[in-house]
Amino acid sequence: MEYVSPFDERRRATEPLAPRPPDLTGARVALLDITKRRGDEFLDRVQELLQARGAQTFRLAKEIFSKPAGPEIVRRIADRGDLAVEGLAD
Amino acid sequence: MTTLTRAPDFSLPSVAGGPVRLAELSDGAPVLLLFVSEECPTCLLTLHRLAPLVPELSAAGVRVAAVFEDPLEVAARVTRRTGFAGVVLSEPAPYEVSRAYELDSLPTAVLVDRSGQQTGRVVGWDADGLRTLLSVPVTDEPPPRKPGCAAKNTYDPDELRLIDGAGYDELEEMFERGWTDGLPVIPPTPDRVEAMLGARDPSELLGEIPPAIARVTLERVAACAVLAGCRPEYFPVVVAAVEAALEPAFNVGGQAVTTQPAGQVVIVNGPVRDAIGLNASVGALGPGWRANMTIGRALRLVISLTGGGFPGRLDRSTLGNPGKVAMCFAEDEEVSPWEPLHVSLGFSGSSSVVTVIGADAPLSISDHRSTGPEELARVLGWAAASTWSPNWWPLGGISLFVICPEHARSFSEWGWSKQRVREEMFSAVVRPAGALRWGETTPLVNAAADDQPVRKWTSPDDIMIVVGGGEAGRYSAVFGPCLGMNTEPISKEVQWNT
Repeated sequence: MEYVSPFDERRRATEPLAPRPPDLTGARVALLDITKRRGDEFLDRVQELLQARGAQTFRLAKEIFSKPAGPEIVRRIADRGDLAVEGLAD
Repeated sequence: MTTLTRAPDFSLPSVAGGPVRLAELSDGAPVLLLFVSEECPTCLLTLHRLAPLVPELSAAGVRVAAVFEDPLEVAARVTRRTGFAGVVLSEPAPYEVSRAYELDSLPTAVLVDRSGQQTGRVVGWDADGLRTLLSVPVTDEPPPRKPGCAAKNTYDPDELRLIDGAGYDELEEMFERGWTDGLPVIPPTPDRVEAMLGARDPSELLGEIPPAIARVTLERVAACAVLAGCRPEYFPVVVAAVEAALEPAFNVGGQAVTTQPAGQVVIVNGPVRDAIGLNASVGALGPGWRANMTIGRALRLVISLTGGGFPGRLDRSTLGNPGKVAMCFAEDEEVSPWEPLHVSLGFSGSSSVVTVIGADAPLSISDHRSTGPEELARVLGWAAASTWSPNWWPLGGISLFVICPEHARSFSEWGWSKQRVREEMFSAVVRPAGALRWGETTPLVNAAADDQPVRKWTSPDDIMIVVGGGEAGRYSAVFGPCLGMNTEPISKEVQWNT
């Protein structure tokens, strides 16, 4: 039998993972707070650890955790960052 | 085992779509043809055991194709189950290709070289034979050999008639495909989907739905409506509900994947209610009425199938909520003493309007004793005091109250407007901040002085009221809000012909 699929059957290209940097010295790391409760505490500690390894960090925050990051935030991460860390869930 | 004869060419339908010829399949490369059938246990064993070797064979330049003596959907299901990632073809009765290859039994593996000659074949499961034929590390798990079943081209016509269609169950097929919410569905055949669409353009795009970021075409919505059990006359309401849910302010993606029990409530106002038999009266919140159940279910299937928010996969709802199966009802505008919801929202009374709201499961509110409007409004309001979490004040979201006809009539007899009811509920549900400062509470409560009054709602506007339910019984209900999603109720006019 033939059926009409409820799914979008387009095949998606799989993006390869970006190459991992050999070390963190001088790396610019974006720390994205999705605004889940206590995510900022988690990122504070990650920031300390990254800076102790020679990374430069900068912070961004989503408007609300339940919606995708806006294009402006994505652009700022891409423009200014070599790496990104996102604190998910609580 | 080697028979150096030319491999007969063929053209067979493929699971990936369209017919495939042997010459296209080969395109100058060697081809392994694996003739199989679902009904043969040795074929299933062979598919299971060869499936992990397909990538290696492909890397070695061998094109691998399974040729099923079964219908396409059976071939699709079996290869999905066995993880077989080669080309999948289906050979219909009377199995001319199998006859041309002089098959006696299944499975039969035939290796065809670059020049189109058959260079070898292995019949049944034969680990040594396959290892030699294919030069790949075929598993040595027992059994090393297992005979198969008679190929269907060897059946006589009477036997073929006996097996034609036997064992196929299209309802079970839907479960196999995962095109369900756990209940049986109506298979979306092209005829049924076409009837659902009517004269509409199947390719019309309503938008993209997260988390799959899938394109929501009218054809896919129609497929979901068929699956849900809708009649074609319900379709304009389904489309309006989907359009509403796709508005960014509804945040359907957040609702689809959250650990919250967020369901989507669909409220219908206007003349379309009667035209399609939507229930606003006894048992309005379900079950029992096809239009109510299937319209709500169709929206849920668009979210969970097309949108990818399937429970247990990307839908991570901790407990779920029966309202995530289907929650659609009409407002009983004829019984209500007040203006209907869509008129309150600015639509004309003669228009038909769908309103979607992200909400928790409904909480029933019994009140058979109140003797005045203030008392009844307080009962209704206080019932909502513990929604979301007992000390989470103010909610910061919309509470949807479904007021039963007896409660509505009492308010009316006491001369209270809908707005007055909302204002009384808003004013009545208040507590000092100090009493709310335990467990999960809000930043506002934490920052307030102990004796500062805090209300359950930010404003009377956060209280939405519709009227519905049976004429007897003083049971209203409240749907708590779906917090954290920044979701807003969205209304869309239904495009239909009276």
